[in-house]
This record gives sequence, C-alpha cells and structure tokens, in this order.
Amino acid sequence: MHPSHDRVVTSVSSACLLLGLLAGCSPPADDPIAGAKPEPFATATADVVPPAARPAEAFEPPPLDRLEDNAKWIDRPVRDGLTLLRAAQEKEPLLATAAEALDLENDSADANAKILSGLGRLPADHAADLAARIDRHVAGDLGSTNPIMISTSAEFDILGLTGFGLFSFGRDLEPFASAETVTSWQTSADGLLDKVVLRDDLVWSDGTPITAHDVAFSYTVIMDPRVPVPAVRSGTDQMRAVHAYDDRTLVFFHREPLATNVWNINFPVLPRHVYEKTWEDDPSLKDSPAHVKLEAEPVVGGPYEIVERTRGQQIVLRRRKSWSHVNGKRVRDEPFFAEIRFRIIEDPNTSLLALKSGEIDEMMLQPEQWTTQTTDAEFYARNTKATAPEWVSFHFGWNIGTPFFADRRVRRAMTYAFDHDRMLDKLCYGLYTPCAGPFAADSWMAAGVKLEPAKQDLDTAEALLDEAGWIDRDNDGIRDKEIDGKLVPFEFSLLVNQQPHRIKICTLLKENLDQIGIRMSVRPLEATVLQQLTQEKKFQAYFGGWGSGTDPDSSENIWATGAGRNFVGYSNPEVDRLFVEGRREFDKAKRAEKYRRIQQILSEDQPYTWLYWRNSFYGFSRDLRGYVFSPRGPYHYSPGFGSIWKPRAE
Amino acid sequence: MATFLLRRLLLGILTLLVITCFVYGLARAMPGTPLTAQMGEDPSRKLNPEDQERLRRIYGLDKPWYAGYAQWLGNVTRGDLGRSITRKQPVTTLIAERIGPTFLISGTALLLIWLVAIPLGLYASARSGTADERATSLLLYVLYSFPTFVAALFLQIVFSVWLRGTAWELPLFGMTDLPPTAPWLARAADVARHAILPVVCQTYVSLAYDSRFIRANMAEVLRQDYIRTARAKGAGPWRVLFHHAFRNTLIPLATLIGLSLPGLIGGSVIIEQIFTWPGMGRLFFESIRERDYPTIMGLTLMFSVLTLLGQLLADLLYCLVDPRVSVE
Amino acid sequence: MANSRGFWAEAWRRYRRRPLAMAALAFVGLLLLVAALAPAIAGTKPVLCRYKGRLYAPCLGYFNRQWEPAVFTKDRFRGTYPQNLKDKDPESWAIWPLVFQDPFRAVRENEWPGRPENPAKDEGRPSRTNLFGTDQAGVDVFAKMVHGTTVALLVGFVSMGIAGTIGILVGAIGGYFGGWVDSLTSRVTEIVMCIPTLVLILAIIAILEKPTIWHTMAIIGATGWTGIARLTRGEFLRLKNAEFVMAARAAGAGPLRIMLRHILPNGLAPILVPITFGIASAILVESSLSFLGFGPPPPSASWGSVLNDARSNLSMWWLVFFPGVAIFLTVLAYNLIGEGLQEATDPRLREARK
Repeated sequence: MHPSHDRVVTSVSSACLLLGLLAGCSPPADDPIAGAKPEPFATATADVVPPAARPAEAFEPPPLDRLEDNAKWIDRPVRDGLTLLRAAQEKEPLLATAAEALDLENDSADANAKILSGLGRLPADHAADLAARIDRHVAGDLGSTNPIMISTSAEFDILGLTGFGLFSFGRDLEPFASAETVTSWQTSADGLLDKVVLRDDLVWSDGTPITAHDVAFSYTVIMDPRVPVPAVRSGTDQMRAVHAYDDRTLVFFHREPLATNVWNINFPVLPRHVYEKTWEDDPSLKDSPAHVKLEAEPVVGGPYEIVERTRGQQIVLRRRKSWSHVNGKRVRDEPFFAEIRFRIIEDPNTSLLALKSGEIDEMMLQPEQWTTQTTDAEFYARNTKATAPEWVSFHFGWNIGTPFFADRRVRRAMTYAFDHDRMLDKLCYGLYTPCAGPFAADSWMAAGVKLEPAKQDLDTAEALLDEAGWIDRDNDGIRDKEIDGKLVPFEFSLLVNQQPHRIKICTLLKENLDQIGIRMSVRPLEATVLQQLTQEKKFQAYFGGWGSGTDPDSSENIWATGAGRNFVGYSNPEVDRLFVEGRREFDKAKRAEKYRRIQQILSEDQPYTWLYWRNSFYGFSRDLRGYVFSPRGPYHYSPGFGSIWKPRAE
Repeated sequence: MATFLLRRLLLGILTLLVITCFVYGLARAMPGTPLTAQMGEDPSRKLNPEDQERLRRIYGLDKPWYAGYAQWLGNVTRGDLGRSITRKQPVTTLIAERIGPTFLISGTALLLIWLVAIPLGLYASARSGTADERATSLLLYVLYSFPTFVAALFLQIVFSVWLRGTAWELPLFGMTDLPPTAPWLARAADVARHAILPVVCQTYVSLAYDSRFIRANMAEVLRQDYIRTARAKGAGPWRVLFHHAFRNTLIPLATLIGLSLPGLIGGSVIIEQIFTWPGMGRLFFESIRERDYPTIMGLTLMFSVLTLLGQLLADLLYCLVDPRVSVE
Repeated sequence: MANSRGFWAEAWRRYRRRPLAMAALAFVGLLLLVAALAPAIAGTKPVLCRYKGRLYAPCLGYFNRQWEPAVFTKDRFRGTYPQNLKDKDPESWAIWPLVFQDPFRAVRENEWPGRPENPAKDEGRPSRTNLFGTDQAGVDVFAKMVHGTTVALLVGFVSMGIAGTIGILVGAIGGYFGGWVDSLTSRVTEIVMCIPTLVLILAIIAILEKPTIWHTMAIIGATGWTGIARLTRGEFLRLKNAEFVMAARAAGAGPLRIMLRHILPNGLAPILVPITFGIASAILVESSLSFLGFGPPPPSASWGSVLNDARSNLSMWWLVFFPGVAIFLTVLAYNLIGEGLQEATDPRLREARK
C-alpha cells in the first residue's frame, strides 16, 4: 500500500536485510541476488555507540557516471505491501469463513485465531466498497500537519496516510522500497551508497510532480540546525549527504558501511516547490503567515489529503484522485477507503461507548476493557475484537549505581521476590505472556534460548539477600547493611508512570518486598518527570517498557556502556563486544549465537526484572475486514491500515 | 471613584507581575521539560546530546528562568503571548479557539445554577424545618456527593445509548458533528445539543452549595430585629423575604459573583476530558503536563486578569448594594 | 439575674437541643471511633497475641510500619499470621480483628483457614467474606473504607482547618481595619487566588522524595483560603459600623475582642457554608486528583482511591456505591453540624431566650 513512514517505529539493522539476501531468511521469490555475497565491510570504527551527529561538512557529490562506474550496484527489493500480504495469506489455511468468524465470541486463543483468519483476508476483485468511509479513533490531536515534525502516535496514524515516503517494511519486518513510489533501489557493493530511482508518475496534492529534488530538499531542511525537528533526525544525521542527480535519481551517501544505513534513508518528504521560498525566512516552519496557512492546508504526497480539521475534535482525510490517476491514466491502485475520519476521544470509557454505538469503527482496547466490558451481546451486536502479541515488554529497572542494586545477587533476589504469576493472572487478566529477556521468544534472535519465566521464591530471595550482606541487624524488621561506616536500611523508591495498571503492578512488588524485610515506596510521576529523572539517573528503581526494534542491534542503545537509554548504568565489556560483533556478522546462525549469548549474560546479571510482553488489543466494527497484526500492531507496517476494507453492500 | 479605579489598576499590574513571575519560576523549576515530554518508549529514538542542546536553545530552555521570564514579559508588553511549544500555534490563537466553547458551558451552567439555586435557597429558608425542605436538602446533598465522572458516564449511557434513535437522544461526545460549511443556524443548534450533557454535569454539583449558601445567609438575616419588626407590622412572609430580607444577603452574594468570574473561563478538566469538549480546562491541564511554558503563562495571565476583575467587580457591588460600605 | 454561662457553654447547650445536629455529631464521633479502632475492625494482623511467651500487638503496624514487632519478620512470617502463629508456636493465641481482610493487599488462599482467596478482576461482588466487594487487584473494599476513614476525616479538617484559619484572620483584619491594611491583605489574597493550585501540587509531587496526601492537602488548604477570606472581609465591612460594635467599643473592648467576639459570630453564616462543604468535598477532591494522576502514594486506603478504581470499569458498582454513600453521609453530617453551629452561636437567639 502506501509506504510506511514509521521511522521512529522502525529501527532495523540491515544485517537482517543482507541475511535475507544471503541465507534467505525470508527470501523474496523474485530476488535475483539471493545467495550473492557482498564484499566484507571495511572495518567500522570500534564505536560502541553509533557516532554522534557531526556538523554538516561541505560535500561535493561526484558526477553520476563516475559513481556508476565504481559502485558495483546490488539490487534491493522493491515491493508492494499488499501484494506481499496477499501472497502470504494464500499460503495460510482459512480457519473460518467471514460469516462464521462474526458469529464467534473472542474468548479463547482458538476463537481469536479463527476471527483473524476469517476476517483478515484481503478482498477478492471488486469485493471492496471503494466508496466506503471509516471512522477511526485517536486519543489525542495532531500537534502539526508537517510530516517532519512527527512525534506523537496520533501523528503517525494520520500523517502516515497523507505522507510520501520511499521505504517501508512488511509484516515480517523486512524492509523494502515501496513499489508505489520507487522504480529501483540499489546499494553499492562497499555499502556507502544507496541509489533510488523514483517513479515518474507521482504528483503532489496541488498537481506539481514529486521529484527526487523534493527528497534532497527535505534532507537539507531536516539537517538544518535552526529547524526544531524532533527525533526524526535520529538516523538522518548519520548520513553524509543526499543528492538528487535529476528528477528521478537519488543517491544517499553514507559515512560508513554500517548495518543501520538502510533505516537512515527513510525520512519524511516535504514539497520543495512550496517550502523552498519560505523555510529560510522562518526555520521554525510554523510562525510565518505562509507556514500557518500551510499548517491548515498542507500539500501532501500520500494517498490521502486533509480536507477538514476541527482542532480537538476530528480530522477528515479524503482519498485524492491525483494519487491513483495521473494525466488521466490509472497508474496506481487506489486505497480502499474514500474517506477516513479520525475522531478524537480522550476518555477510554467514552470511546468504548462510541465503539459500541457504532460512532467509531475501531479502537485500541485496554486489557481491562477486553476482559470485562467487551464480552456481552451488546458489544458483539456491532463489533468484534482481535488480539495479537506485540514486541513491547515491561520491566523493573534497577539502578546499578546505587548501593542497593550494585550487587547482582540483590537484583536477582528482586526477581525471585516478585509474584509474577499473580501479576500475570490477576493484574494482567491472564492476557500477557511472561518476559524473561530483551528479545521476543518467537524472534530469530532469541530462537533456541531457553529462558525460564521467573517464579516467586521468597526463600531463595531471602537467601540471596542474606548472602549479599543485607540482614536486619538492628531488629527493626528492615534489612540493613553497613556502608561507609553507616548502617543503611534497605529502603528505596520505585518510579512509575501515573497509570493505574502499572501502579498496581508496582504495589504488588511493594507487598512482596514487605514480606522479606525491604521497604519500597511507589512513586507515581508524570511521564515527563519520569523521563527526566531516569535520563539523569536520579532514581533507585523504575518501572518502564520498551518497544523492541525489529533488529536486535537497536537494543544496544539500552545495554551498551554509556549508551543513551542505558538508564540503569549497566556495563559489561563482553556485552559491548558482542553487540559490535553482532552487527558486523553476516552469517545468521553465528549472529543469532551472539544475541543468544547476550541474552544469557543479561539473564544472569538481571539489570532488569523482566515482566511481560504486551499484546495489542483492538475492537473492530463488524463491517471491517482485512485487519492483520504484526509485532508492531495492526497499523504500523506495510500495508498496515491499507489492508483494511469494507465489503460492498449486498 | 476615578482615583480609586486608577489605583486599583496600578495595584493590579503589580499583582500580575508578582503572580506571573512566581508561576514562571515554579514551572521552570519543576522537573520535566517539553523535550522529555516528547520521549517515548522506543529505544531507537536516539536524541543525542547535540540535538538536545540545539532544541533547548531553540525553545529558550538553556537560559535561566529569570532571563526567560524577562523575555516573556517583554513580549507580553508588545502584545505577543508567544507560541505554544507542543501545538505550534500562537498562544492567543489557542486561547481564542477554546474560550468560546468554555464560556458556553460555564456561562450556561452559571446562569442555570443561579436560576435554580436562588429560588431553592429562598424556598428553603422560608420553609426551614419543614419536611419538604428537609427532603429537598437531602436530595441536593445526594447530588453533591455524586462524583462527576459517574454522573457523566451515567448520563452518556442513558441519553446516548438507551435513548438512541428517539427524540431525546443526545450526542455522546464532542462539540459538533457538522462541518464548518453547514448553515449557521444548524450548527448553533448542533452545538447546543452537544452542550446539554456537559452543562448538566457542571450544574448539578454546585446546586447544593449555592442554595445552601443562600439559605444560610437568609436564615441569618431572618433572625434580625428589623425582620421581626416587619412581621409585627403585618408584612406577609413573601414580602418580608423579598423586600426586606433578600437585599441584606446581597453582600455575600456579590462576593460569590466576584469569585465565580474566573470560573467562567476555567472549565472542568474532567468534564472536558470525558466529553472531548475543546475547553480551557483541558488546555491548561495538557499544557502543564507537556511543560508548554508559553501556554501555561498565557493562561495564567488570562485567569489572573479575570480574577482581579472579579474582585474589583465585587468591591464595586458592595458599594452599590450596601450604603454603609464605601470605597476607600 | 443568674450568672451568665460562657459563650460556648451556652452555645453547646442550645446545640444539644437540636436532634438532627446531635445525630450528625454522633455520626462524626462514630467515624472518629472507626478511624481510631480501624486495625481492630478490619485487618489481617492480630489485635493482641501471645507468641513465644510475650505479648504483642501487631495491628499497630497499620498506623505506623515501625510499630509492627520485628520478631515476626525475623521469624519469616511473611505478613501472614494465622497459620504461622500456630505453626511456629503451638501455645500461641491471638485476638483477631472483627473482619479478617487487609486494606492494602488481597488476602490469599487459606490465609485464614478454610477461606478462598479474594476474587480479583471484576468478580469481586459484595459477599459474606467481602462485605463491600473487592477491587480489581482483589483488595477488600470494606477494609479500605474502614482504614480510609482516618484520611477521610483528617483530609477535610487539615485542608479546611488551614484554609479557615488563614481565611478568617486575613479577611477579618482586612475588613475591620480598612485603609492600607485592607489594600495589602486584598492584594495578598488576590495573588494567592491567581496561583494555579494544580501547578503547585505537581511541583510538590515532582520535587519531594516522599509526597503524601498531607502535602497535597496542605497545599489545598494554603491556596483555598481566599474565598473564605473574601467572604469574611465582606461581612466585616458590613458589620464594622453596626451599633453593637460601637457599643462594644464604647465599653472599651479592643479590636481583637471586637472582631472575634462580636462581629464574627454575627457574620458566621456565609463563612460556615464553604467551610462545611469544603471539609466534605476534600474527599471528592482527593478522588479527582487520583483521576488526574496525582493521588496519594500507593497503596492507599482512602475513599477517593476506591472511587478512582471504579473509573476504568463502572459496572463494578460497589466501587462507586459505598464510597458515594459514605461521602453523602459525611456531607450531610458536616452540613447539619454547620447549621446547628450557626444557630447555636447566634447571639440574637441567646437574647431571645432570655
């Protein structure tokens, strides 16, 4: 479908991509180079952490013919998300027809599988109602309609439909160039260049053709230090330059032949003809009258355009003719829905009522709502629901810099002290799977690792604490230890976001620790304060979660010594080394072995107490078909939302 | 009078300076910045230190708070309330968008409260001690104890779900369903329909308080000697109430009116969240959560101005209402 | 002429004559009793027990964690008493609370011999073992309400006590003296009025290591006195030139005596209403704060936190009904007391009696 711009959501090491070419982990059938081996990369610098952004250097792009001579291009996949999905679905058995699936109540894994199978199919020819409208739910409003300012999830959902991009990744999290916008994509043999040739039938919503110059221009704007771009720049700043040689040919220049290069080349695109006159005068892109007007009426390059926007209430997108028809000819499939209305509802009770009454067609459900409020006939009269595992996990993080948690035995004691089963069964309604390490059990990087989910064992916990020197010496019921001549009681606070579900889990831990002589206080905080305190390492323990990237290398930012998200201050030279080796290794089996070893080390060291993997839960109207879940939920991959359709009325 | 007003104006400006300075300092001193508010749970989102510095400079966060305050003050005197960091719009636009909807709910609610509470209070004081007065009071206390979110959801279920399809149906959430291109009258009616449930939720809570307030004042006044005199002179109960007693309760009433002026544009966060009503309460709450300093300051300034105006109004009303009180 | 009793003794005598006001006072007294005896009414720790030859009162641990005898942690009781007492010392005996439930955690299976564990999720309807039902984590609501009575009582008194004292003082001084004094107090009042309470509360929660509900309530009290101050000032403006005041001045009374003894009882009516409502509404405020995410640190046993649990699933009606009834009775009681107080202290009635 339309390319996914989830650049923040995607962080894939291209090692996976290359292995796709080499060992065929998921070989695209028509990839001619499967089996070809690129030349080994030049040794990258021994940076443990990817190099920080360097100031823009003057860069003179060499002429194209010289590049062509030296590059030795390797073809990379150019795919259409819907075609891929269709092919994959043909291989899956149909567990139930749509009618049968609609009769089911989703109260078991079996029913869930049948519902997903029966209702998740793509339409046969002409089965979809192309004039249909859908009402979608978002919990917050857009901050800005400018695609390079994307930061909230609402913006991902909405601007993902109106934005133009070159790359995406499929349900199996394999990246490709989007066949809707790109003709060809090649990488040079030395890994320093990526060449993309755009299609010539792309048009902005105001009629101007989309060219490679727009992409190069967007790169310039994103990289300008005066423009307040948030994390969109993360990755773009790793490149040396982006140059458009003509209207269709684009070359990305990388500094080093790294595995992560493939994700740096995916960034949102602005229309040059609109912004080139205005952006220099107002680099903030929102102050000048011209920019204010553009905020209200943006020029978009994706399949949908914003036709109406009531702040705080709703945003209406309409399919634009100029996406599928250029110069009177049909050049592209049109997306299924003619109109998409995003209704903004903050309160979960209200949005559930809206779903039940049919005012919205889909929404994300809270686990409590899934278990208790979507099980009656009233819900199933208009809707059904589905769930699938998501690669988002939650944990307790122990600050290794504190005297409490510097000792590994204490951290492991914490894991033994916590009543995992009770949390999973009662507090999480039995809906989540236990998590014992950083990588999802069904992912390739964790295959073969036998990490037993933790179980509560208070005796072992107490033994470990005794061993680590935490004993109640002053008979007040609290363990203590002599540190620097003072008797320090084992009292600490755990920071957590102000969400009732998370607070209940932390309260359970408090109860458990109470039983073995440790006093913990739960501190619910605003998200922004929690973020600040954990970043500054001003905490003793916290409750947090990560969406694990598609490639294990993205976790390096959490575990490597001194890395940006290593809040707990974990440092293990062997782990650092393994991460560096991992992203340079091409043999998939050997690579998996490295991540297996990392998992084992982390499991022994327990810098976190891993808790659970979260599922995504969604309620869908009975009219909807075609929803398919990935480890990133039903929308944030290709085709994502593009696979959803409504059948023509009989 | 003119000197009085002039003096109040100058004092008001001084007060505003103190307030805005304090609030700005407090907001900057709190942990959390607009940047940390944007971080998510994705480990691949690497905001490296240079980038963070760059953004901090752009938003003026690298300067100490007093420098930032001075800059804000300078802008305000030129009529520029600044730009919202998270919403990318001028603060004045944000406020202008929200003030109408808020006033619609709060203003209507206030009007309804006075329309209902004053007669209720008078009635209660006139028939104090009787069974039906006790029953009414009890009912009002029940209403008062009813938490807003329960009432809101209950009303939503009744009017949007059970009564769906009937003439009594009311919209579930939002301010309007019609596009901006629809005719003016139809849109006004639509907005009015959407406003009914939020107004009811805002109104019922205060009924008990305000009617008790009036009743308490009245009861006190009714015990005065001149009331006894009026009754001895043969005045009927209603004449006593309205002609003699009510006017003497006007000072506390004036205070109450002055105190409720800022509430007109205050808005209730909970009601606005539940009904997705684009009001000032939600804006204020969200801007604090996002550490959107320009918006916080703009809203604080506006509320403060209104509060001060409300107090001035109350003071002027005192003089109007009670000849014994004079402006000094 | 008989000796006149003191003002307050007289007021109390008249107060006693009003049955409803006395009933309200009795209700508050009952709440006080419940708050004081909470660990004996509902808890999982023995009120009194003999263990290994010594007497202990573990239930005091509910008031202060330090007061729970350390011997039970040393002997690996892990917080469950019934079985452990018997196992570890066959000659032990214990007096148990009336209701064996804990306000902070769910009671597990067979903790009390023969009793299944508390139902969790949405299955905790009111039953014989759980009189008021349980919340989503399985914690008994009756125990929470009982232990939350302390908070419910104090929360209102703390915030309104602070607010009332400051408010009456500031308003009285400003209203009585007038001139630049009034100007000063009015400006101070306005400044405090304009400061957004939400920002203050958030700042306290973010900055303090261990923010408690008391910090929040102190802030609400410290910023909530402005309305009372304005009302008091209005009354004092009105009354300071009344005849009885001139008479008192002629009799040689000083300003403080005049303000407190003469003017205040006459102007009490409009002031009492916000105070009595404020005490009761503090509970609702606590619930709203929990909703917005700034409640007391968990696990908290308070009426407001029970209400807050209801937010995500309103079909668990018992989470709304019981706190709602409790709040209603409290509002009713405080208002009746306020009414009774108003009439009892009315000087006119005193004279009328004579």
